[in-house]
Amino acid sequence: MKKFNRLFLAVIVSSAFFASCSNDDDNNKEEASGDYKGGLFILNEGKFETPNGSVSYLSDNLTLENNIFSLVNPGKITGDTAQNIGFQGDNAYVVANASNKIEVVNRYTFKSIATITTGLKYPRYIAFANGKGYVTNWGDPYNAADDYVAVIDLTTNTVTSSIPVTEGPEKIVENNGKLYVAQKGGYGQGNSLTVINAATNTVATNFAVGDVPTSLVKDNGALYILCAGRPSYAAPETAGKLVKVDLSNNTVAATLNFTGLTHPGFLDINDSKFYYTVGNNIYTAATSATALPTTALFKASEVKILYGFAVKNNNIYIGDAVNYTDPGNAYIYSLTGTLSKTLNVGVSPNGFYFNN
Amino acid sequence: MLVVNYKTTARPGEWEGKQQDASQETCLCNKYRALGKKSVEIMTIRIRFTFFLLMLCQFISAQSDSIKLKEVIVSDSNLKKYSSSQSIQVLNDSIIDTNQPSLTYLLNFNTVIYFKENGLGMTSAPSFRGTTGAQTAVIWNGININSQFLGQADFNTIGTRDFNSITVKAGGGSVLYGSSAIGGSIHLNNDLRFKNEFSNHVFFSAGSYDTYSANYRTIVSSEKYSLQVSISRNSSENDFKYPGTSDQRNINGEYYNTSMNTTFGYKFNANNIIKAYSQFYDSERHFSLTSPNALKTKYNDFNTRNLLEWESLFNRFTSKLRVAHIGESYKYFPNIDSKTFTYGKVETSIIKYDLAFDVNDKIKLNSIVDYSRNKGYGSSIDNVKREVGSASLLLHHLLTEKWDYNASIRQEITDNYGNPFLFSFGTRYQFTDFYRIKLNASKNFRMPTYNDLFWEGSGNPNLKPETSYQAEIGNEFFTKNFSLSITGYYNSIKDLLRWVPTEGSGDIWSPENTDKVRAYGAEVLLEWKPKIGTHNFTLNGTYAYTVSEGKQLIKNELVYKQLIYVPYHKLTGSVAYNWKKISSYFQYLYNGEVYSTPFNNPATRVKDYNVGNLGVDYDFGTKNSYKIGFQVLNLWNENYQPVISRQMPGRNYTIYINLNF
Repeated sequence: MKKFNRLFLAVIVSSAFFASCSNDDDNNKEEASGDYKGGLFILNEGKFETPNGSVSYLSDNLTLENNIFSLVNPGKITGDTAQNIGFQGDNAYVVANASNKIEVVNRYTFKSIATITTGLKYPRYIAFANGKGYVTNWGDPYNAADDYVAVIDLTTNTVTSSIPVTEGPEKIVENNGKLYVAQKGGYGQGNSLTVINAATNTVATNFAVGDVPTSLVKDNGALYILCAGRPSYAAPETAGKLVKVDLSNNTVAATLNFTGLTHPGFLDINDSKFYYTVGNNIYTAATSATALPTTALFKASEVKILYGFAVKNNNIYIGDAVNYTDPGNAYIYSLTGTLSKTLNVGVSPNGFYFNN
Repeated sequence: MLVVNYKTTARPGEWEGKQQDASQETCLCNKYRALGKKSVEIMTIRIRFTFFLLMLCQFISAQSDSIKLKEVIVSDSNLKKYSSSQSIQVLNDSIIDTNQPSLTYLLNFNTVIYFKENGLGMTSAPSFRGTTGAQTAVIWNGININSQFLGQADFNTIGTRDFNSITVKAGGGSVLYGSSAIGGSIHLNNDLRFKNEFSNHVFFSAGSYDTYSANYRTIVSSEKYSLQVSISRNSSENDFKYPGTSDQRNINGEYYNTSMNTTFGYKFNANNIIKAYSQFYDSERHFSLTSPNALKTKYNDFNTRNLLEWESLFNRFTSKLRVAHIGESYKYFPNIDSKTFTYGKVETSIIKYDLAFDVNDKIKLNSIVDYSRNKGYGSSIDNVKREVGSASLLLHHLLTEKWDYNASIRQEITDNYGNPFLFSFGTRYQFTDFYRIKLNASKNFRMPTYNDLFWEGSGNPNLKPETSYQAEIGNEFFTKNFSLSITGYYNSIKDLLRWVPTEGSGDIWSPENTDKVRAYGAEVLLEWKPKIGTHNFTLNGTYAYTVSEGKQLIKNELVYKQLIYVPYHKLTGSVAYNWKKISSYFQYLYNGEVYSTPFNNPATRVKDYNVGNLGVDYDFGTKNSYKIGFQVLNLWNENYQPVISRQMPGRNYTIYINLNF
């Protein structure tokens, strides 16, 4: 019996050891510079229901700072599913989808100015017109009939009214006092573009553009809309389209069809050229092209899951969600596909916002 | 659809909450299984008893009244008979009563099993020996009740107080218990007593955050029949303030659950017994918010379990025919203010025949055939049916008084996924009167779930089952009031079922047989019951060291990484002290740090935590037991989140009464 007592003691002692050797070596304190003139913000969505969305900042001389919102504003978090950043005046507006909030900050210091929480339900993207903010909202994502665009009074930072729209309003851009909303469809699949008159806050028109419009890019008097097509799990599956809308009369001016059942991802325009993605292949064509290219400009082979995309200043910026859980990467390529910079950013980088 | 279209937004909580376990797997499993039970009648054969005494000290020490088993018919006799070469831990009703009423809580504080609990009372998935949530089987009176949709049981939707005992069996058990018995299995038992008895048990507790728990159990029995009815109700506002300086509260965490469990047995004559088991479980949980303005959601579970068994004995044969019906259904409300919900429902019918043949006192055989069929439908599952059959052969052979072995095989037959052939072999040898060694090796499986196979638009009909090959060696030391077991194991699991996004765009998620996992580790279980004069102590302790690694491709390099939410170290301990009419106890839990991301990013580790609970009660009954007690949970106000951003309460209090008459 005695030896068991000893054994028992040994177990207790060793357990006390395990209990006490908790390590706290992960408080590597980072500091925020608080100086964000120029450069660009990378928005990291975070993981759904884990409020770990964050904002990274890359300066013009390519110095990276992660998690700037929380570092500049101790005790505050960017939120759950950080979806979009919009700029207006000196302010930046960070839309956190599943947190149902918008963080208003100074775009050059990232100091918090206000947090908007009421009047938002699954907010997605923000644009500005007529001195007001316009935010697309899905409402209850299982209810196809309660989707709206919230109108924000930028002086009081409150939602003052809402404009009902069809299901799943997503990206939104402003042009000449009008707002153009891609009706991507939320949990369903939409196919139209809604035009809102900012003077009256009413829907001016809504017309079909193509299945699942995902990107809106304004260029040279036209609005280019990349439609992903209906996915395989939502029969009938359809191929994507690149649609040109003439902003002078709000009609579809041209449509370029993708072949087979190709589903393009993102679109941007730089120097009168399209850049779009299919999987992790990057394609380019002149905006005046009458057919889509058949071969890719390059394949971003480093990228596991292409989750954010922008083309600016003769660079191609790509966010890689990797596995949607670990911190992601951002890559900078030249316009011909030469990788120039790899950045370790936050979880699921989904967008690049140039601060100038 | 949501699942699939991760990109449009986050996946809905329904999926996410349930799926967040160490892997993203779902599973299912099914059905039946298992074991027929051989109701014991141990008593008739004295030699057997001697053997049990000799060999099963662990069992007996934990369940001391099994010695008077005479009239007790255990609901799952094969568990003892064919799992003797593995590690078995029995939690009896007095342990059940002193713990909070959820299976998560009971097992978290008393066993080596780690829980990934998404906040108090929220979805909870086990990791047993480093496996994923769907690789632990929950067995209700011998029937596998893991969800057909997810393959795993949610351990916060199983109340503990409706059961006479809960047995934890570590290691593979697919031959007897079917799909998911890879890391281990949890057995919920309603045992019947055939003797003249009328007894009542009333338990009521009230605690912080408007937490109430009530349980009434009655037993009415004679030598001819036995009836046991148990009704439980648990509820909580669960709106605790976060410990520490934060003024945040747990928002939208309220829950309730109600269950009723009825067990009835009737002896027609000396050779024929009929038994019926029935359980209803109804619960509603709001899911705690992780960010204060998030949309509030809630989730309802409704489960029914019914089992009818006819056992007859003739000569050396015991025949057992079992028919069961298991219903599971859920409703998920993605917005609490709306009537819209998604749902799923599966009904399973099982028929099982178990013929046991005692060749002689030393050699026992069982052959089991079973067939189950289920039908499921829901928001994202079209009406689908699945049929599974299996046949097993089991042997237990006592070679000498000190040496025995088990050998068993099973063949599965189904249209939906391969036809796995399973086996298990184990042996024990008792070297001295205080030391014995156990060896076991087995092949086990987990079948693809309803969601994996049939989820509209993204289910994959061509999946294989997960397969596990494992081996373990156990050492047991024991004396009259002391036992210590040390077990080492190795488990190789391939074809893990995971939902993975399409490479490149990440648009579409679908299930695949992808990873391999290698898990190995050691477990220590200890029990010691010293007695000093009139002072009685009971000490229990468990410790697990677990390495469970999957391959990850990081920057084009394949490396082994610890699975998420699998701690390297877990420790539990309890001390109970009885003196005259006062009893008091202290429980301790240590969970080592875990990784929350597949690449084991050090910045997102979940911190380790220590939690202690203290309870004391006084029995003011004379002939009967009337206890009144008080508990302090989370004694030193540990501020911890078992899962990232899922806060647990700080120090809180419970008072209870426990009446037995």
